[in-house]
Amino acid sequence: MATLAAALSRTAPQTRILGASFSWWLLIAPAVILMLAFYAFPLAEVLWISFTEPEPGFGNYERLLTSPALQRVWMTTLRICTITTAITLVAGYVVAYALVSAPPRMQRWMFVCVLLPLWISVLVRAFAWVTLLRSQGVVNEALLGIGLIDQPLRLIWNEFGIAVGMVHYMIPYAVLPLYASMRDIDPRLVPAARGLGATRIEAFRRVFLPLTLPGIVAATVLVFIFSLGFYVTPAILGGGRTLMVAEYIKLQILDLIRWGVGTMMASTLLVAVVVVLAIFARVVDFRRLFGGRH
Amino acid sequence: MDRSAQAGPVANVLAWSVLLFLLLPIGIVFPLSVTDQRFLSLPYEAPSLQHYATFFTSERWLASTWQSLVIAVFSTVLAVTSGTLCAIGCWKLSTRLTDLVRVLMLLPIIVPSIVYALGIYRLWIRLDLLDTYLGIILVHGVTGIPYVMITVTATLANFDPRLEQAARSMGANLSQTLRWVIMPRVMPGIASGAIFAFIHSWDEAVLILFIASRALFTLPRRMWDGINENLDPVMAVAACVMILLSMLMLAGDLWLRRRRER
Amino acid sequence: MAALQHSLTVRRLAKHYGPTRAVDDVTLTIARGQFVTLLGPSGSGKTTILMAIAGFVQPTAGEILLDQTPITPLPPERRNFGMVFQGYALFPHMTVAENVNFPLRVRNVARAEAERRVAEALDLVQLGHLKDRRPSQLSGGQQQRVALARALVFQPALLLLDEPLSALDKKLRAELQVELKALHRRVGLTFIYVTHDQEEALSMSDSIAILRDGKLVQEGPPGTLYERPATRFVADFLGKSNFLAGRIVERRNDGFAYAVDGARFVQDGPAPAGDDVLIALRPEKIGIAADGEAAPNLVEGTIAAWSYFGTSFALIVETAAAGTLQVTVPAWRCPVEPAEGRRVRLAWTADASVPVARD
Repeated sequence: MATLAAALSRTAPQTRILGASFSWWLLIAPAVILMLAFYAFPLAEVLWISFTEPEPGFGNYERLLTSPALQRVWMTTLRICTITTAITLVAGYVVAYALVSAPPRMQRWMFVCVLLPLWISVLVRAFAWVTLLRSQGVVNEALLGIGLIDQPLRLIWNEFGIAVGMVHYMIPYAVLPLYASMRDIDPRLVPAARGLGATRIEAFRRVFLPLTLPGIVAATVLVFIFSLGFYVTPAILGGGRTLMVAEYIKLQILDLIRWGVGTMMASTLLVAVVVVLAIFARVVDFRRLFGGRH
Repeated sequence: MDRSAQAGPVANVLAWSVLLFLLLPIGIVFPLSVTDQRFLSLPYEAPSLQHYATFFTSERWLASTWQSLVIAVFSTVLAVTSGTLCAIGCWKLSTRLTDLVRVLMLLPIIVPSIVYALGIYRLWIRLDLLDTYLGIILVHGVTGIPYVMITVTATLANFDPRLEQAARSMGANLSQTLRWVIMPRVMPGIASGAIFAFIHSWDEAVLILFIASRALFTLPRRMWDGINENLDPVMAVAACVMILLSMLMLAGDLWLRRRRER
Repeated sequence: MAALQHSLTVRRLAKHYGPTRAVDDVTLTIARGQFVTLLGPSGSGKTTILMAIAGFVQPTAGEILLDQTPITPLPPERRNFGMVFQGYALFPHMTVAENVNFPLRVRNVARAEAERRVAEALDLVQLGHLKDRRPSQLSGGQQQRVALARALVFQPALLLLDEPLSALDKKLRAELQVELKALHRRVGLTFIYVTHDQEEALSMSDSIAILRDGKLVQEGPPGTLYERPATRFVADFLGKSNFLAGRIVERRNDGFAYAVDGARFVQDGPAPAGDDVLIALRPEKIGIAADGEAAPNLVEGTIAAWSYFGTSFALIVETAAAGTLQVTVPAWRCPVEPAEGRRVRLAWTADASVPVARD
């Protein structure tokens, strides 16, 4: 009991009030400080600069309405993102559907195929696509070799190349939420519908498809958001000819040193991402999604 | 399973074509790296290791590999330490404020890298941290925190909060409780988080364009320049080196997972 | 052992969560060496009080004193109280011996000494032979004993138990009740036990504190609480009871008479203030009277339903005067064959029932 008595005399009542949760807040503190100082603060500064340079006001944002060049960049970005999302979704849906109905052994192999690309650097993948698609690349050489074409096809440094690279990057992100939503469907439902007289296609369209809607929404949001701000693949496979927002921003800052326009475009991009997220936050369980890279 | 619940042959063929499409670029890199030609192509006659020899004797490539490793290791340590403690603190306190902290910690995954790159570039100019180990490690560490938060939080979800109370009631202070009760239980999550954080830094290719230029040239940075300037076969070797390390990490993660299930 | 005993006082304790008062001005004294149970339905604040004693809940107001020393500001790890958690909270990554050794490890007890004390503690709960097992390899009852050994090994000032038996099946629970009681006698510590199970409370405790909606309703030895419940809630929660609402019609020195729907009944003891009275009458204290037999309190009725429990019959009797009454009669001397619709005369003595406060 000596220890207890000693402990009693050492502790002032006030320290305890703080003490209970204070020490736990100390655990949180380093990450919060790091994140605020080296992430949130610079991010806020980007927003700030977009209103203050070259002169204070909304000048940079007015250019969004007046400059055809800026509008073209955004239109290109939205067009490529929409195309990418649509193709990714269809491809991802097919894979998820095959995945959910495959026997366990097969399923494991298919999962490996889906997850493997996630572990490979996006830069390495872009590089691989360049070697495959350029005019002296593997694909063109092969097609020339079997005599299917006489002239190398232009597969790269255009929107086609960007779309191929982006779809490749995004498919796993579409498969995971789609698979999750399909796995939760009672496997007896489709047979039940067919037992009630629905054809295979009807059963799919009227029963299966509606039930996977949450997965479709989640996959769409995820892929679209990731596509909007995507930099590496469009920059490499676009070869500087097709400008998307992220690369345009990089050009403004590193090559042209026009901070005002660059940060304005970055802020607009950020707002676009946040708005898309906010709209769909209700439908999509983001905790599950962000835990999904396993 | 009922036959009608299975995907039909058409769906299966389509699915496998997509999967092959996913594997294609990964599969092509290795054959390219063993080409016997002096330019980037498939081997004409016999596979050759000449470009591996070039890579492993090139000071520039080796320096880049080394720099990438050093940066990845230290930024992983930073992300894992701060992220784990933060996840544990948020789990224990679990108030409205800690929910906000969790959202803050997820920012680097939500916000496009290019947006953050501008901000950190500007800040590093002012703090004179461009092109320094400290600057890159801080950036990679901070942006690696979300991965650690996610994996550690996931393991903590299965952790009975009464174990912490039990330890306290038996006289353990915070640090003893952390070391002897909480850490051993969330170790798998920490390990997974560390692997993700490491790969995040190892592969990171956007921020590095802004915050490193001459003194520090990580592997992705050098590849970036290579792709845009001269596509020589050593690039394929570098790509293989990057893939190899990722695969080692993936194998490590799978091994840990399997051990946990047992 | 007596030197290790401590008393605990909870003085005007309150804990508010926003507008909810989980604990509302509770004062309670636990004498040294006693086995005290905090009993109440879920949401009554019993666990919150225990957690405040353990140091996991910081009270909004009030004080907790160990002997005469206030301990309210102390964090749990400096209170030196043993605690057995609901679900036991054994560390799954440690063996039984490592679990029990944990409190000694945090106190830097020398290895030889620690080994001796772990062995002692495991012997106390008869688990010495399982010391190298993991908790997941033990049965529920064994886990419970490990939790006890772990909570006792560091010679705590008190032992706190939070529904330690709730996860076990009924038969095992009865066995462990006996064991716990014996353990309490052997170690001589003050035990504070939380449960919602009234049978557990009655069979083990030296004293029971009954809580409801964060308030202490009544405190005392089990017998007193059962025989002399202060309120309708206590009578109802601790066992079963019939309630008769009547008006006092006559006051005497040693008792009073009251009327319920014209029928007149008598009751021993002082009459409560006011004219209205609520009488609690236990089912087992009602007897079935033979025809012509006289009794202080008599009422006629018909059996509306009955069931057989081996040891007893439980009857539901509709009476004109006292409404529906539950009656429990020992099966081996039930004077009538129970049957629905049969007329019976119910009788009880003037000291069988007790006036209670309306809540």
